[in-house]
Amino acid sequence: MSKVTAQQILDVISKANIVKDEEALANDKPLSEQGVDSLDFSGLLFNLEETLKIEIPDEDIDGLLTINDIVTYINTKK
Amino acid sequence: MIGLAQIGCYVPERKVSNLDLMEKFDTDEAFIRDKIGVIHRTRKEEEQKASDLCLKAFENLESKQNIAIEDIECCVVVTQNPDFNIPHTSAIVHGVLGLPESCASFDISLGCSGYVYALSIVTAFMQANGMNKALLFTADPYSDIIDEEDKNTALIFGDAATVTLLDGDAKLKPLGFDFGSKGIGYKNLINQDNKLYMNGRAVFNFTASTVPISIRNLLKKLDLNKEQIDKWYFHQGSKYIVDTITARAGLDKEKVVFDMYEYGNTASSSIPLLLSKDILHLQKGQKIALSGFGVGLSWASTILEQF
Repeated sequence: MSKVTAQQILDVISKANIVKDEEALANDKPLSEQGVDSLDFSGLLFNLEETLKIEIPDEDIDGLLTINDIVTYINTKK
Repeated sequence: MIGLAQIGCYVPERKVSNLDLMEKFDTDEAFIRDKIGVIHRTRKEEEQKASDLCLKAFENLESKQNIAIEDIECCVVVTQNPDFNIPHTSAIVHGVLGLPESCASFDISLGCSGYVYALSIVTAFMQANGMNKALLFTADPYSDIIDEEDKNTALIFGDAATVTLLDGDAKLKPLGFDFGSKGIGYKNLINQDNKLYMNGRAVFNFTASTVPISIRNLLKKLDLNKEQIDKWYFHQGSKYIVDTITARAGLDKEKVVFDMYEYGNTASSSIPLLLSKDILHLQKGQKIALSGFGVGLSWASTILEQF
């Protein structure tokens, strides 16, 4: 099964209209410090689950602060 | 066929500002305005119960049109915060209004999907029993059960009540409905020990995935396309959820009604509150869609036409 990349996460962010310019997001900086609020984050998780056909339990969310965290998490699950 | 003739509303004068809580909940005005969509939440007086709010809504209805009490054949209250567990709140309203003894009264225990479910239930009940006039109330004062320390819920819910006059001569009539339940998710929006708990993420996921499908199913059932709908009235859960549904269902934003800045999420009252402003201004042939969703988890959608 192919690995998920940071670009794929950015594509989901773009499709879900979460920020104005997803290409400006830093992969290693918390999303909450880059204009992604709690509702945006819920939307991101929803779209990731739908697009990548995965489930992200509530108890795993706290560790998903950056795009890199999300990529590592998803690739560990797969 | 039974239709919606007029809607009376009660919105308490007392309001609480979310802007005063920004520091407490570590948030900002942009989030409050653009994501939650609630600047002020309405608050009933502490001693007021659901029936009191219903009676206020009825006063407003009477100010808009003459109501012959003796002609009312059915009185229904949609609430999950009743005056008492026993009796039903509609019995109390029946008594205070002096409705005829021949009038049927019952409550419907549903939350944010309640108004749309109730439209189907009550119009069908009326048709089956040859009734011509009914009062359908919504009154769900969540302020009695909100945990003011819970950021998930403290910034969202407001109190209000509405009453819809259902009438055999009314011109705004439902064409059809779509309903559903996801009871496996009941714990995600629940009153526990008299405090409301909401798993915001779960409720968002449910709404974002379910409501666009409900709309699609209903349009297909009625052989309509979304471009034929003149206005969309979604339950006002938050601005974020209304925007999400609008985007996912591919709707024209200009046709989606949004107005919760000065009330909050008023549960089953949210849709009729919106509709009350437009109900007498619809043109013949116009079609509107209503969709409520939430507690249960449950949902109900309908399309109405102005004949």
